[in-house]
Amino acid sequence: MKEANKHSEMQKFGMVIDLDKCTGCGACMVACMAENNVPFQEDETDPLLSVKWMRVYKMTNGKPYPETDICYLPRPCQHCEGQHEGHSPCVSVCPATATDYDMATGIVSQIYTRCFGCRYCMAACPYHVRLFNWYDPIWPPGMEKMLNPDISVRMRGIVEKCSFCFHRYQLAKDQAYVEGRREIEEHEYQTACTQACPADAIVFGDLNNPSHLVHQLAQPDLKHHGKPKNPKAFRLLERLGTNPKIYYMSSKKWVRLAGDNYTREELNKKRT
Amino acid sequence: MKIARRSFLSFLIGGAAGTALTPLPWKLTDDLSIWSQNWPWTPVPPKGAANQVNSVCSLCPGGCGITVRKIDERAVKIEGMDGYPGNDGSLCTLCLAGLQLLYGPSRVQAPMKRVGKRGEGRWQKISWEQALEEVTAKLSDLRAADAPETLVALLGSDRGTVPQLFNRFLTAYGSPNFFRTPSIQDTYELALFLMHGTRSMASFDIENSDFVLSFGSGMIDGWGSSVRMFKAKSKLRDANATVCQIETRLSNTAAKSDKWVSINPGTEAALALGLAHVIIKEARYNQDFITNYTNGFNKFQQLVLEQYSPSNVTMVTGIDPETITSLARSFASARHPLAICGRGQGATPGSLNEFIAVHALNALVGNINQKGGIWAMPEPDYIEWPDVPMDAVAANGMQKGRMDGAGSQNFPHSRYLLNRLPDMIHSGEATIGALMVIGSNPVHTLPDTPKVQTALDKIPYIVSLSSFMDETTQMADIILPNHTNFERYQDVPAPEGLPQPIIGLSQPIVEPQFNTRHAGDIIIQLAQSLGGNVAEALAWGDYETCLQETLGDKWDMLSEQGFWVDESFNIGAWGEAFETDSGKFEFTNAAINRLPLFNPINLDGSSSEYPLVLLPYDSMRISAGHIGNPAFLMKTIEDTVLKGNSGFVEINPQTAASLGLAQGAKAIISTPTGSAEVRVHHFDGIMPGVIAMPRGLGRTAFDKYVAHKGINVNGLIGAVEDPASGLDAAWGTRASLTKA
Amino acid sequence: MDSALIPEGVNRCPIWKFLLAIAITSVVLLWGVYAMLLIYMKGLNQTNMNNAYGFALWIWADLAVIALGGGAFFTGLLRYIFGLDELKNIINYAVLIGFICYSSALLILGIDVGQPLRGWFIFWHANVHSMLTEVAFCLTCYFMVLTIEYIPLVLENRQIDRVPFFHNLSHNMHEIMAVFAATGAFLSFFHQGSLGGVSGVLFGRPFGFREHVLVWPWTFFLFTWSAAACGPCFTILITKITEAVSKKRLVKDNVYDLLAKIAGWMLTGYVIAKIIDTIYWATTTVPSMGFHFMQFYSNNALYGPWILITEVIICGALPALILINPKSRQNPKLLVIAVTLAAVGVSLNRWVMVLQVLAAPVLTFQEWVLYYPSWQEVATTILPVAYGVIMILISFRYMPIFPQEKELNPIEPPLSTAAVEETEEAPAEAAETAAEPELKPAEA
Ligand SMILES: Nc1nc2c(c(=O)[nH]1)N[C@H]1C(S)=C(S)[C@@H](COP(=O)(O)OP(=O)(O)OC[C@H]3O[C@@H](n4cnc5c(=O)[nH]c(N)nc54)[C@H](O)[C@@H]3O)O[C@H]1N2
Ligand code: SF4
Ligand code: SF4
Ligand code: SF4
Ligand code: SF4
Ligand code: SF4
Repeated sequence: MKEANKHSEMQKFGMVIDLDKCTGCGACMVACMAENNVPFQEDETDPLLSVKWMRVYKMTNGKPYPETDICYLPRPCQHCEGQHEGHSPCVSVCPATATDYDMATGIVSQIYTRCFGCRYCMAACPYHVRLFNWYDPIWPPGMEKMLNPDISVRMRGIVEKCSFCFHRYQLAKDQAYVEGRREIEEHEYQTACTQACPADAIVFGDLNNPSHLVHQLAQPDLKHHGKPKNPKAFRLLERLGTNPKIYYMSSKKWVRLAGDNYTREELNKKRT
Repeated sequence: MKIARRSFLSFLIGGAAGTALTPLPWKLTDDLSIWSQNWPWTPVPPKGAANQVNSVCSLCPGGCGITVRKIDERAVKIEGMDGYPGNDGSLCTLCLAGLQLLYGPSRVQAPMKRVGKRGEGRWQKISWEQALEEVTAKLSDLRAADAPETLVALLGSDRGTVPQLFNRFLTAYGSPNFFRTPSIQDTYELALFLMHGTRSMASFDIENSDFVLSFGSGMIDGWGSSVRMFKAKSKLRDANATVCQIETRLSNTAAKSDKWVSINPGTEAALALGLAHVIIKEARYNQDFITNYTNGFNKFQQLVLEQYSPSNVTMVTGIDPETITSLARSFASARHPLAICGRGQGATPGSLNEFIAVHALNALVGNINQKGGIWAMPEPDYIEWPDVPMDAVAANGMQKGRMDGAGSQNFPHSRYLLNRLPDMIHSGEATIGALMVIGSNPVHTLPDTPKVQTALDKIPYIVSLSSFMDETTQMADIILPNHTNFERYQDVPAPEGLPQPIIGLSQPIVEPQFNTRHAGDIIIQLAQSLGGNVAEALAWGDYETCLQETLGDKWDMLSEQGFWVDESFNIGAWGEAFETDSGKFEFTNAAINRLPLFNPINLDGSSSEYPLVLLPYDSMRISAGHIGNPAFLMKTIEDTVLKGNSGFVEINPQTAASLGLAQGAKAIISTPTGSAEVRVHHFDGIMPGVIAMPRGLGRTAFDKYVAHKGINVNGLIGAVEDPASGLDAAWGTRASLTKA
Repeated sequence: MDSALIPEGVNRCPIWKFLLAIAITSVVLLWGVYAMLLIYMKGLNQTNMNNAYGFALWIWADLAVIALGGGAFFTGLLRYIFGLDELKNIINYAVLIGFICYSSALLILGIDVGQPLRGWFIFWHANVHSMLTEVAFCLTCYFMVLTIEYIPLVLENRQIDRVPFFHNLSHNMHEIMAVFAATGAFLSFFHQGSLGGVSGVLFGRPFGFREHVLVWPWTFFLFTWSAAACGPCFTILITKITEAVSKKRLVKDNVYDLLAKIAGWMLTGYVIAKIIDTIYWATTTVPSMGFHFMQFYSNNALYGPWILITEVIICGALPALILINPKSRQNPKLLVIAVTLAAVGVSLNRWVMVLQVLAAPVLTFQEWVLYYPSWQEVATTILPVAYGVIMILISFRYMPIFPQEKELNPIEPPLSTAAVEETEEAPAEAAETAAEPELKPAEA
């Protein structure tokens, strides 16, 4: 048991999203909704009220036609590690321990039945990952047949967010256990958005495991909270010390620069 | 008295303190919180045994393989089938939300008969027996009146057993008027027919190309079999191939290409000929192919050298000569260059000249039926049914020719010209006795939807076989609801554009949820009750028998792995690929006596009244076909495209400023076809003077999640008949935008 | 009619006037209750909060009201611990105002959370790292302390005081009040600070984040400090308003002067600290996160540099100067202006530290999000104000809140009248019982 724990302590699940490949199609968003019983309303056009665990942002380079460029940026929960592991912006503030950092997987969980809806975590998360259930979730009669039993439907009045499809991890672990294994293979635990992405823009796996593609792509510097060594890779708001586990890759400089804030002097230096 | 009061107070206080010490309040507090965790109005998904079913999606012509996760009898998630040709494990937005269609409120749950006025939405549920009886009676009447040719069937596709059963039914019945929903497939087929001499499907070996030159094709906006195209596009990136997008608006495809060349709208053909000019002038074409396997090159050469010099083309397209020259050089010097066309998702057929001009580029570099090139795939031929038994009525009806003019002298090689019907109905040139619609939704998807609607209004009897209450079904007189593609068997041949002969098998992933029937069974049953040669023509006991019989020995493999691939297939080599009179690739076509030319498509309206140009654009987040967005898809639409019920029009900030339209401002858009209230969204990526709106919004049917949101851009754009093909060649329209 | 309940030796307005005032305020209160019920039944979709504004008007109201209620702990500290005896003449009112403020804060919190029935999870499943946990515990404890401090006042009502048990209880409670005052001061120090910590710890929100001293961010200390400075100002303000409404003087000038002076020096210190904090934040903290501090004051319709100037200069330095200068603070008009400015200033600071924190974009591809409250939010925020007015009306009428009132407003009727009053009262057993129900609201 101890041995098993020791090994799993080393897991750190994360994603690399190739923004050169991402097409902004939205399949990841829909796959996530379908997988995770995400509720929907008659009017979903207010992004500030809409519950989407995965949100695809559209960025522009701000230049006039025809120098204009756009880039899409899919944004699941960043599963921030914090300045020291477990000190995610949101986890540290939740007064009721309704959200937690799992040391074994690096996944930031959300316990719906524990959350009492104070929304402090929403204020803490700079990525706008956390979403409040302003409304009761309602599936039209008959449509509740499509609900996935691996994830509970969230009640009104609480916060929810991307879980890295944690139930898939559990299922994979159970399966491995049944087969007499204690470890799962890279392909056995993949998130719904990764699986669905038609452009293969999302790669998911254990950042600590050198045989996993995420590790090879992001080249996380484990001595520096996983800072990417790959010069094309970056993390959102790296400078805040949130140490996210979502890495983005882009061959375009303006996109990489849009991942963080820089003062004018810093920008001038970076652009030259 | 005093004492009594005092003891009362003590009693009260003591009682309160005492109660607080009992477990009661704590237990209640706990119970209340537990109740809040189990609100009865928050659904709890029942558990059950997990299992999965493979099938093929036919929500669009993409034909992707799917694996559906089930819990007992409930389908809970649709995923891409691993290893399926094309989509290999991934899916598009629409299909990922497909269960919302299957279980959703827009399903037609039983046969229904209109009781109110047409389009009023008042229906009466009837039995299948009654429904079939009524339709049979109507069809018998038409036949008895010797007007079988006035029966029109409109389907989403003409491939596979179900469309062919309808086609066969029509023939035996005596009507040549079978239609399929228009798309670029029509123009590609025609271009290939004229230049290759074969009836074939344009397919693209994109994955193996190293330079894709796309004339506005939305490779990652839904063009072709969309999931396969996404995958291909990513593979190209991994392989360091170049994708160059030629487009007026910075679409997603343009943004994600290695090079975006902005072009004046509607001038793509001129650019193609300009590129041909450079390639020929610099002798960068494939000598072997041109010399040995083509005909009419000299005429073509003369034409492009004389008329399409880069400087001439610059004036038309707005692209500077250097870009044209360098583009031509990169294209011609690539190992596997490929030029493709058909704007956006390819929903409108487009100008034949443009397709011919672009295809001529492929010919110049000799990348036809070659690795990384365009392949003219033979049409599927697995359906081998005996000849249709005809009676006198049928023979007479078939004699009369198609009502849309396809195959007539004017348009001898076109197959279906649905776009011509509305005008013809209005002018009395075409009379329809009855219309059957299945897998198609012309009231929403055809150009100039108001005109389509009034034309449909003139049809005395409309039978819809739709699974969903769509815009066209709303206008029906009777609905014979088909199973959805998640509840039925059906062969799904050849995903659009895939260079592999494939048949996929759609299998029921759940039992039919409602009182619906398979369209194949419906048409067989109608044939049986009509009797005579029609019954004889569709003599199968039921559709499943027909399907298994037709697929023959492919059935086992199909039902086992979900698809069948012709492993032995080889694309025809140059020597045997062309069946023109010359047996070679034709640059000029004698049949229509036409060279590839840039013939600008003239848009309606004057540029003084309508100073702007409106382009429709396609988005993977909005289903623009016959099926409307499920609720999940609505959640993906950005608030700069739809806000509340208001749809947005994209406009260059510079143009917006000159019109005094602030970001988000309300405006009236007017075109020669119609007008609507919209809001404006400033977008730098659109050419000044041009505005754009997404396709697929402004539904009036389906459910509350999608209906009455935004504007249907098809209502603002009229069809423009291509003089060479009769197909709709409109790529936009003139428009004006004024403050609301 | 209710004269038997009115403290001895003071004049109160006729009962119809009193009841009318209560009735009018109750209408407002009921409007708030209606909104509250709507929110409980239908959920927080009744508000204009959204996923960008998880905290909004209510949390601001909470923070503001707690800062303004800070007069209770700070005056208590001065009176009981530092032995500034004159302050006994205003401490009762400070405690009452504190009690109202804190009960209001708890009420609003009860509406604000999405799952009020699970509100107690904050205690049961407490996360000790969370500032809100600290707030919840301290706030609740301090509210109990305030209740204990308020109870003796209620017990001093003429009729209740007649009951020996209550008389003794209240006497004994007074004896040990210093202990509670000290506890209160200690608790307040922490929860005021923790409230400051709420935004100060948000290292994902550069506008709110502050460097830490030990485990606390700067805002922790700034909040306590500003509450200690501005709470007493608010006490003075409300007392002045009460004087104006009741048309009598209730507290002697030397008491005002003392409290105002102390508040003035506290405010001076606070403003200096705040300025240092702002400069450090603007020149060190924020640039290290890649921002220029002016980014937080531009590109939007509301939050501009005016906020800083108003908060720190107009509502900070200016009142501080007025208050530390004996001449100006002894000018009644200037005093009222100064304490009003201070109260506004601290409220503005709380607004900024809640709402501007959330409004300012952090991701480069996002924009400012502005917000205005729904009527339901406004109504439920006004609800406690109405409740506070009613509490004050009742407490002022029936409880001896201001020890100096009798002296400052001697009743000079002929002796005979006084005698009549006394005789009228003697057989008033019946009146006593009849009056009892009216007492209940004050007790509850
Ligand atoms: N039909 C039937 N129903 C019963 C009973 C019965 O006898 N028959 N018995 C009843 C009784 S007495 C009980 S106690 C309940 C038990 O019911 P459950 O609590 O549902 O018990 P299990 O199914 O044994 O385990 C639950 C899950 O925990 C997972 N799991 C195992 N180890 C860990 C771990 O370390 N961490 C996490 N997070 N998950 C882990 C397992 O994979 C499994 O999916 O069932 C009750 N229901
Ligand atoms: S599914 Fe893939 S390509 Fe589409 S938006 Fe998501 S990450 Fe981008
Ligand atoms: S992204 Fe937001 S919700 Fe996710 S771990 Fe980081 S702070 Fe928490
Ligand atoms: S809203 Fe829920 S998860 Fe977030 S901080 Fe509050 S209790 Fe914790
Ligand atoms: S990882 Fe799972 S929960 Fe998170 S966005 Fe992707 S699909 Fe949704
Ligand atoms: S592209 Fe078409 S066929 Fe493929 S999954 Fe999407 S809707 Fe289905």
